[in-house]
Amino acid sequence: MDKGTATLALVVVTILAVFVAVQPLLPSSVEPFSELGMLGPTQEVGGYPTSLTIGQQFLLYGYVGNHEGVVSYYQVLIKLGNQSTVMSNSTYANAPIVSTYSLVLDDNQTSTFPITLSVGHAGTDLRLIFELWSFNTTTSQFGYTGLWNQLFINVTS
Amino acid sequence: MIAGLALAAVVGFMVAMTAVPASTAISENDVGSANSAIQSAFVSTLQAERSGGNVTSLVAALNSAVQLVEKAQAENSTDPAQASRDLQAARQLGQSVTAESAGVSAAGSSLRQFVFVRSVVSAAAVLVAAALVYVYGGRVFRWLWVRLYGGYAVRLANG
Repeated sequence: MDKGTATLALVVVTILAVFVAVQPLLPSSVEPFSELGMLGPTQEVGGYPTSLTIGQQFLLYGYVGNHEGVVSYYQVLIKLGNQSTVMSNSTYANAPIVSTYSLVLDDNQTSTFPITLSVGHAGTDLRLIFELWSFNTTTSQFGYTGLWNQLFINVTS
Repeated sequence: MIAGLALAAVVGFMVAMTAVPASTAISENDVGSANSAIQSAFVSTLQAERSGGNVTSLVAALNSAVQLVEKAQAENSTDPAQASRDLQAARQLGQSVTAESAGVSAAGSSLRQFVFVRSVVSAAAVLVAAALVYVYGGRVFRWLWVRLYGGYAVRLANG
């Protein structure tokens, strides 16, 4: 092997060695995100109730996933709104809270948990709104993540 | 007879004054105190994770504490004594998580330093090996070649 080739090989080996040594120290480049889902009574998408009577209990399953890169403290707020309730991924619903579920998830951890609910008054096209809130250590308060789901139901007496 | 009744009344009054008071329902302040302990524990857990610590057990304990608070709120109207015990247990869990997170954080920092040193040492070892091959590689290769093929005889192909 001539001198030039040997020198080139040494340079390549040096670059590879530095590249491999640095890999364990580099932070993840995946964009962080959280997940919120609502599943039916069989823990699948579908089978959601649409017509209920006042006080009738029904079962759903909540699904929360943490891909933020750090451990996170979540709250799932379940609110009862109607057709005029305004909400988006930047504005949480101004509606009464029916139930609250709290959970702590490690990075890349998910949780599916049962939710038992009932509605105390009659109405048409009522909206069960599910919002995901996350604990902010800077403000020491829960903040709205912008993730939400809803379920339209008709409740009769 | 009247004296006996009076004595019974006095004794009954004294017993009532020393009896254990009936269980009282937990208040919003009690729940807030437990939640505050859990939130402090979460902050400590997050810091431990950022130091490189394994927080799996801390997360499990935090979830147990959170569920105890929810259980206490649900049973407050039917069994306030149990609700109070659950709330106290949640508060203690939060405090123990905070205390344990310091050790997890220290262990994580040590592990992170070890990984860093190991990476640097490994890279240095590869570079030293590459440099040795660069300087002495040709000499070693020629020595090996002579050892393997030095006894071979060379003869003409045609006669």
